[in-house]
Amino acid sequence: MAEATLRTLPLDKARVLHWLQRYGVYAGVAALLVVNTVITPYFLTVENFRTQAVQVAPVIIVALGMALVIGTEGVDLSVGAVMALAASVTALYLGYGLLPALLAVALFAAGVGLAGGALVAFVGVQPIVATLALMVGGRGLALVLLPQLKDLRNPALASLGSGDLLGFPYLILIAAALALLLGFVMRRTTFGRQLLAIGDSRPAAQLAGLPVRRVLITVYVVSALLAAVAGVLATARLQASDPTSLGNLMELSAITAVVVGGTPLTGGRVNIAGTVAGAVLIQLLTATLIKHDLPPSWTQIAQAIVIVAAVYAARGRGKR
Amino acid sequence: MAPPAEVLAVRGLSKTFPGVRALDDVDLTLHAGEVHALIGENGAGKSTLIKLLTGVYRPDAGEVVFQGRTVSFGTPLEAQKAGISTIYQEVNLIPLLSVARNLFLGREPRNRFGVLDMARMNREAEETLGTYGVRVDVRRPLRTLGVGAQQMVALARAVATDARIVIMDEPTSSLEPREVETLFAVIRRLRDAGIAVVYVSHRLDELYAVCSTVTVLRDGRRVHHGRLADLDRLSLVSTMLGRELGEVRAEGLTKFTGDHGAADAEPVLAATELTVPHKLHGVSLTVRPGEVVGLGGLLGSGRTETAKAVAGALPLRSGTVTVAGVPLRTGSTPAALRAGVSLLPEDRKSEGIVPGLSVRENIALAVLPRLSRFGLVSESRVDSIVDTFIERLRIKASSPHQKVGELSGGNQQKVLLARWLAMNPKVLLLDEPTRGIDVGAKAEVQKLVDELAADGLGVLLISSDLEELIEGSDRVVVLKDGSVVGELAGDDVTEEKLMRTIAGDGPARDTVKEAVVDG
Amino acid sequence: MQRTTHRRLSARPVVVSLAAAVALTATSCAKSEDDAATDTSSSASADAEQKVAEPKPGSKTCTIDTFGGKKVDLKNATVGFSQSEKEANPFRIAETQSIKDEAEKRGVKLLTANAQSQFSKQISDVQDLLAKGADLLVIAPLNSDGWEPVFKAAAAKKVPIVTIDRKINATPCKDYVSFIASDFVEQGRRAADQMIEATGGKGEVAILLGSAGNNVTTERTKGFKDQIAKEAPGLKVVFEQTGDFAREKGQQVTEQLIQSKPGIKGIYAENDEMGLGAVAALKGAGKKPGDVEIITVDGTRNAVQGIVDGWISGVVESNPRFGPLAFQTLDGFTKGEEVTQDIVIEDGAYDPDNAKNDIGKAY
Repeated sequence: MAEATLRTLPLDKARVLHWLQRYGVYAGVAALLVVNTVITPYFLTVENFRTQAVQVAPVIIVALGMALVIGTEGVDLSVGAVMALAASVTALYLGYGLLPALLAVALFAAGVGLAGGALVAFVGVQPIVATLALMVGGRGLALVLLPQLKDLRNPALASLGSGDLLGFPYLILIAAALALLLGFVMRRTTFGRQLLAIGDSRPAAQLAGLPVRRVLITVYVVSALLAAVAGVLATARLQASDPTSLGNLMELSAITAVVVGGTPLTGGRVNIAGTVAGAVLIQLLTATLIKHDLPPSWTQIAQAIVIVAAVYAARGRGKR
Repeated sequence: MAPPAEVLAVRGLSKTFPGVRALDDVDLTLHAGEVHALIGENGAGKSTLIKLLTGVYRPDAGEVVFQGRTVSFGTPLEAQKAGISTIYQEVNLIPLLSVARNLFLGREPRNRFGVLDMARMNREAEETLGTYGVRVDVRRPLRTLGVGAQQMVALARAVATDARIVIMDEPTSSLEPREVETLFAVIRRLRDAGIAVVYVSHRLDELYAVCSTVTVLRDGRRVHHGRLADLDRLSLVSTMLGRELGEVRAEGLTKFTGDHGAADAEPVLAATELTVPHKLHGVSLTVRPGEVVGLGGLLGSGRTETAKAVAGALPLRSGTVTVAGVPLRTGSTPAALRAGVSLLPEDRKSEGIVPGLSVRENIALAVLPRLSRFGLVSESRVDSIVDTFIERLRIKASSPHQKVGELSGGNQQKVLLARWLAMNPKVLLLDEPTRGIDVGAKAEVQKLVDELAADGLGVLLISSDLEELIEGSDRVVVLKDGSVVGELAGDDVTEEKLMRTIAGDGPARDTVKEAVVDG
Repeated sequence: MQRTTHRRLSARPVVVSLAAAVALTATSCAKSEDDAATDTSSSASADAEQKVAEPKPGSKTCTIDTFGGKKVDLKNATVGFSQSEKEANPFRIAETQSIKDEAEKRGVKLLTANAQSQFSKQISDVQDLLAKGADLLVIAPLNSDGWEPVFKAAAAKKVPIVTIDRKINATPCKDYVSFIASDFVEQGRRAADQMIEATGGKGEVAILLGSAGNNVTTERTKGFKDQIAKEAPGLKVVFEQTGDFAREKGQQVTEQLIQSKPGIKGIYAENDEMGLGAVAALKGAGKKPGDVEIITVDGTRNAVQGIVDGWISGVVESNPRFGPLAFQTLDGFTKGEEVTQDIVIEDGAYDPDNAKNDIGKAY
């Protein structure tokens, strides 16, 4: 069937689509780099690349978790709220020192992830509904814990946000390490493969005796923990905990990065490298438009175009 | 008395889907007041025929004459307006609206200001439903009613829209016996009112209780039609399954080689009194090592449910399963797998293969934890297992990394068999292992089943292919309506006896021994 | 509609108490950096209280006779206060606190409600306040439209309403008595004046806009640009991007800005938070205080501290302390005096000269 469909399509169109699915996001990144080199002053500077990388790092980290959730045919809308929660918990426990505060953040985030995973895996609530509830409740809790922005002066936190190792900011190193780790997990562990099987065909995975519930819960916990990491890093960079606005609309940025990166919303496939590239693509696009002082609405329109293009390419993939 | 008027005449109806001739030159005639049984196994063309009559599909050839006029409905709504109503297995009404609103949906009574006349609607709804034996508060949302009552509302609605023909597609599948009686009463009343009823069901008792005429479809063709009373149950079943009585069976049509298994060995699988609401009513069976036990019965008799219940994929109300003498925690697939029970599911595409993953990942899917240490997969061990089975089962794929979804049905089935064999099971439950695969692959699968049994595996074989069931099985347990109605062993495993048992007028479990003595 | 509201209302206590329980457990052993030092709340000095700006002689007034209520003594009256947003930012915190403080000072019984940014809740909040016996209402509206049900209920009881910080589209002296607020266009102009002074009137400047589609954003932008065009043609606005009134967004946008336009001389942030985000970005890029002149609007303590530290060049105040003026208006009105329908309050300003001394006035 699949081959027949492919053959009946005009060959060049099929080929272009196939190519776009696989390399479109990288081509987009490359194109933006070239264009900016030409038209944007001061683009080819170390400082600029550092800025873009530092800004995109939290998005990448959240998007990695999102990619896993989407791989199980789910979605996690609570990531932005978890970032806010991480910010307020950090501020709340920083008096004990950075490490205890991070521990507390991890506990809270794991709690949110556990709740989302349990709702999806045991109660059978649709992921979008379960995590929507957590999105509302999570931000509410963050604001109850810390009702307003609070400046933080912990030196360890500050260095986490702005320090570097051999010229590479910690944020970038952490994002890169997490991307490599998740790439390894998806490629080499039973967990990664079971996740894909569950996302592709849940009934088949169930009949094959896979620990469906355990995998689902783990996925949501991992997503929440990654969002918490991103929340802590963003807080460290700002040197202030801002639960009112931190992570606002982050769920959409993350989903965009994942989809643009070639992970289908229908589950069963997770493209880690593509997700990273997807986040970078959106970051470069935003940066280009901001640097050239185009109206903010243009940024949204440009993002929409990229998403539509990505979904169009993915539709071709879905058909096969 | 003049013969009742002809309401519907279908002539030469054909419909082809890509690769399948779903309906081939089928005729059907309905008279006023006729209750017509439409029967056939899976894929025989029943639902295609219904969908052609109700405007869901358009025919490739043939004509439909309804009340003397040639018609061609574009949508089910058009068909309904013209007078052909359909009641599906699942009630397709609006659960949150009140019973009365559902009943009058689209033709609500209005007062002279054009506003809904709720009082009148509720009053009329109560009266109408009363005649169907449904006495409920019609202002309640439909979903608060039992399934049976909802079915009645759907029926009342269908009839109230001035239907001349009412098509019922397995209307009793979710009804309690008492509700079935009410339904039959309603059907008889429809009949007396001159409405033609097309009744689709697999339950023979029901057919003989309400239907006067019958059309049997097989492989998209009409293979029989006439008065139901002229056809006894055995003939009906044999017509449906396509096995002529007394047909001389050619030996060696299948690749099964015959008997195996020690009759006196301890059972490797023993299921006792498996009960699942609406589906299984105390099914018991045993499988010994090296034995192939067939599970016979018509569609909907509980074969698939039995296999799923044993494999932990269907929660039981009661009943026990023991594997090699050890009781199994029921309702858990992982527990069943650990105990050594593997199920090859009936629906290969949606419950079997994981289409987006490669052949390699599909084969290794269930056994993966055993090939891993601390959650890390040992690629070399996966490779060696995958290579072994690709070779042993002669799986044809361009490489182990090809997506399973791209393989042919037969190769997909082999991949699934490999997945289960890799688990080294004690009991293999095979639900329609050769359905929809080509002849060559079919023979290979049958041969494999034989070999596995010879190696000491216990096999439970479900097949709608009688030949396969009879030649492949050492024993056949026959199910009907979720209960065991007979068991055939040894020389009794013949098509005729099997069909008699399925039809319900042959030797039942208790009389099997007598039959043997008689023979 | 009605039903959903009810359901939501009945579900809320459960959610709230649950959240409160979690919050309680979480905070019971919490220890933030400076637990001992935090007491920034209510110690507003008397100097910071609002004054009426430009009491134009010709402006329209309202009396209790034209409004049609009966005189009451404010001392014995019950005042209801409906706040629009959660007290999660300094402005709202100071605003609510100021109302509470003034009520306490005058010995008036005060009922308060917070709509948590949900307009339907604010409507039912106000109706609740009326039902609980409020004789006078102070409302900080979330929206400008959709207040008819409230006016109906209030008119039935002849309850005078004073709205603060955002205007309601309705007839003054009929639906409500007075509207007290800052002039956001004027705030923009004054920010422009400060920018001109700080930069010497020459060079390229950037604007960090507030959230799109918000009247505060458009008015603060308009005032700034008009004034620049009028007073300092040498100053060019070369960059306008939204920072959504949030610190992190302000930081990100400023980072892009200083990379692509290293010669930028000034940044006008339409609220303090974005300004502080810009400061964080400048610090991160290794700039020194004074390299880029930052002017912000609002007057929060953090921003004024920024002036003291040298990172911020000027802050135009948007005074949130409506309490004294609101109660003064109600007092006069209920005594039968004439009150102005549109009361524009005078906002202060902070610059390097007064920041150190006046930081106590900041909120």
